[in-house]
Amino acid sequence: MNDFFINWLASAPVTAVPYALAALGLILSERSGVLNLTAEGLMLVGALAGAGAVLSLHVHPALALIIAMAAASLVSLLFAGLVVVLRVNQVIAGLAVVFFCQGLTGLIGTVAGWQNKQIDSLPSLNIWPLSEIPVIGRIFFMQDPIVYLTIAIFFGVNYVLFRTMLGLRIRSVGENPAAADAAGVSVSLHRIIAIVAGSCLIGLAGGYISVVSVKLWVTGMTGGRGWIAVALVVFARWAPWPALWGALLFGCIEAVIPRIAAAGIAVPQYLMLMTPYLATIAVMVWVGYRQSAVTREPGALGQPHVREERR
Amino acid sequence: MQLKKIIPLAAVAAMTCGAVAYAAGFTLSAPPKIAFLYFADKGDGGWTQAFDEARPKIEKALNMKLPFVENVPEVAGKITPAAESFINRGYNVIIGTAFGYSDTFKTLAEKYPKVAFLNASGTTNGANLESFYGRTYESQYLCGMIAGAMSKTGKLGFVAAHPIGPVNWTINAYELGAQQFNPKATVTVIFTGSWNDPVKERAAAQAMADQGIDVIGQHVDTPTPQIVAQERKIFGTGHHRDLREFAPKATLCSSAWTWDKHLIPTLKKIAAGNWEPSPYGAFPGIKDGGTDIACCGASVPKDVVAKVMAERDAIIKGKQIFTGPMKDTTGKERLAAGVKIDDGGLWKMDWYVPGVIAQK
Repeated sequence: MNDFFINWLASAPVTAVPYALAALGLILSERSGVLNLTAEGLMLVGALAGAGAVLSLHVHPALALIIAMAAASLVSLLFAGLVVVLRVNQVIAGLAVVFFCQGLTGLIGTVAGWQNKQIDSLPSLNIWPLSEIPVIGRIFFMQDPIVYLTIAIFFGVNYVLFRTMLGLRIRSVGENPAAADAAGVSVSLHRIIAIVAGSCLIGLAGGYISVVSVKLWVTGMTGGRGWIAVALVVFARWAPWPALWGALLFGCIEAVIPRIAAAGIAVPQYLMLMTPYLATIAVMVWVGYRQSAVTREPGALGQPHVREERR
Repeated sequence: MQLKKIIPLAAVAAMTCGAVAYAAGFTLSAPPKIAFLYFADKGDGGWTQAFDEARPKIEKALNMKLPFVENVPEVAGKITPAAESFINRGYNVIIGTAFGYSDTFKTLAEKYPKVAFLNASGTTNGANLESFYGRTYESQYLCGMIAGAMSKTGKLGFVAAHPIGPVNWTINAYELGAQQFNPKATVTVIFTGSWNDPVKERAAAQAMADQGIDVIGQHVDTPTPQIVAQERKIFGTGHHRDLREFAPKATLCSSAWTWDKHLIPTLKKIAAGNWEPSPYGAFPGIKDGGTDIACCGASVPKDVVAKVMAERDAIIKGKQIFTGPMKDTTGKERLAAGVKIDDGGLWKMDWYVPGVIAQK
């Protein structure tokens, strides 16, 4: 039974990393006032670009992940152009980008023949001698490098968002773009920066799934994980650290599903498969209940900024 | 000019009318021109690739080129134009490759009564339409035998998509096969809820390895369970195609489609004018071109292979592995002593034999 818990918790970070990175990317964008639903699509772009880079260009997996980030941020420029420059409805634009990416990645991947091809990937680290510590060693010190990098990224984004001038400007255009504009902060520029930087992280989340965790690419492989990241942002109330804990919670839930079955415990399978989504609904209900007291939602979330416009 | 064209046409028409008089069933009005509609990418590593690997063999046997179109999704709005673009160019045999083509093929078959339609894993049939699927339990039974012989712990795993008849029969067959070598062998099943979700398949296979399962079988479309088996230094058995290319050390054998063995005789019958589509579809076993065992990895001992091949011969001679007395996991009798399961019982199979550990 002890082994069951150790193996379960040791496998949770791998499932949690895509949620954590995608949610962090969305937080970055939404803190600038842009409601961002593109995660599912941009994760698919990252997954395809990362897998394609390894399979066609034979690059090192680390470089493939950088290519995945670049590809997702490139596609996010389309979204940024729609919502920041053209001021299209952000919900519609986000959904459109997701459907566009689903079609595009499926087309490119199958035409290029990248489906079901094995990817040589990053090995797990073995931080000796820490990995030899019973229980803790297996859970904390035998993960792949991106798991540790994710924690570093959280420190980095948290620092930029709350301790630098750039972060202050990004948050100010999300809270009150008119005031920020009057103070001489370019609303459009900072929103575009936030979208593109956030999309880098979403692309990394997708690239991580195909290149590091699964080591294979198939059409539509993110399987709805981008939508859970969207819910996680609300759960975390637009703050980075709670998003990491939320991602770990979802990682634990997703990791336990096959383990219960493998341990021979008979639970209806469709009930098990819906637990992540049930948890999402439960979390939203809890957040809705709590929000009556105080809201942390960025003040201008979802509102296009038009200079001098009366409300 | 006009007359010269009409005379050979009339001759052909007279000949085909003559053929109709002699043979019951469907007859083409012109020499066969055959085309494939692939559900996915021809190099998808599984289901569709199995058809694309059968295609050159069919081309050789029939001495003609078979064009194909890839990635035709399971929606009428995509299937119909793809099929009609071939039909309008004179193609008169259309082979589909997906369950989701069933209804559209039925409509097309009624609209084009002179064109023959074949559809893999379909559910619709008609005067010029026949669906076909394989008796996959036969080859999975043989794979289960090898898994049972090679497992040290007696704990086998099976990564499956959905608990439906054609999947449940492969799970039961796997367990029945394993019992041939190890009567106490168990098969633990994880359903991923998807044919194509490598994330869930990997998580499932890893969870199995952590539980001491040392051979993993599969009925999903990606080779992920085999890849995980190789990483964890345990064994696996594949499905759809010979999956040794993905995990040469881990994959012991595979339950692989042999569509050419079914399609070549069927297409020859269509060409000869004596094809009679079955009202229930074609359901070939190892003998007639369903799935066969792709055997074996170097680590499988010779005496095991010999016993498996002896069972294969028995199945080809007509042995039905689902023969009573057979009980399910709850102890309820499913087949009385000596009773062989019928095809209806296979398709609606919603029970597991003792030794299978599965969710509901």
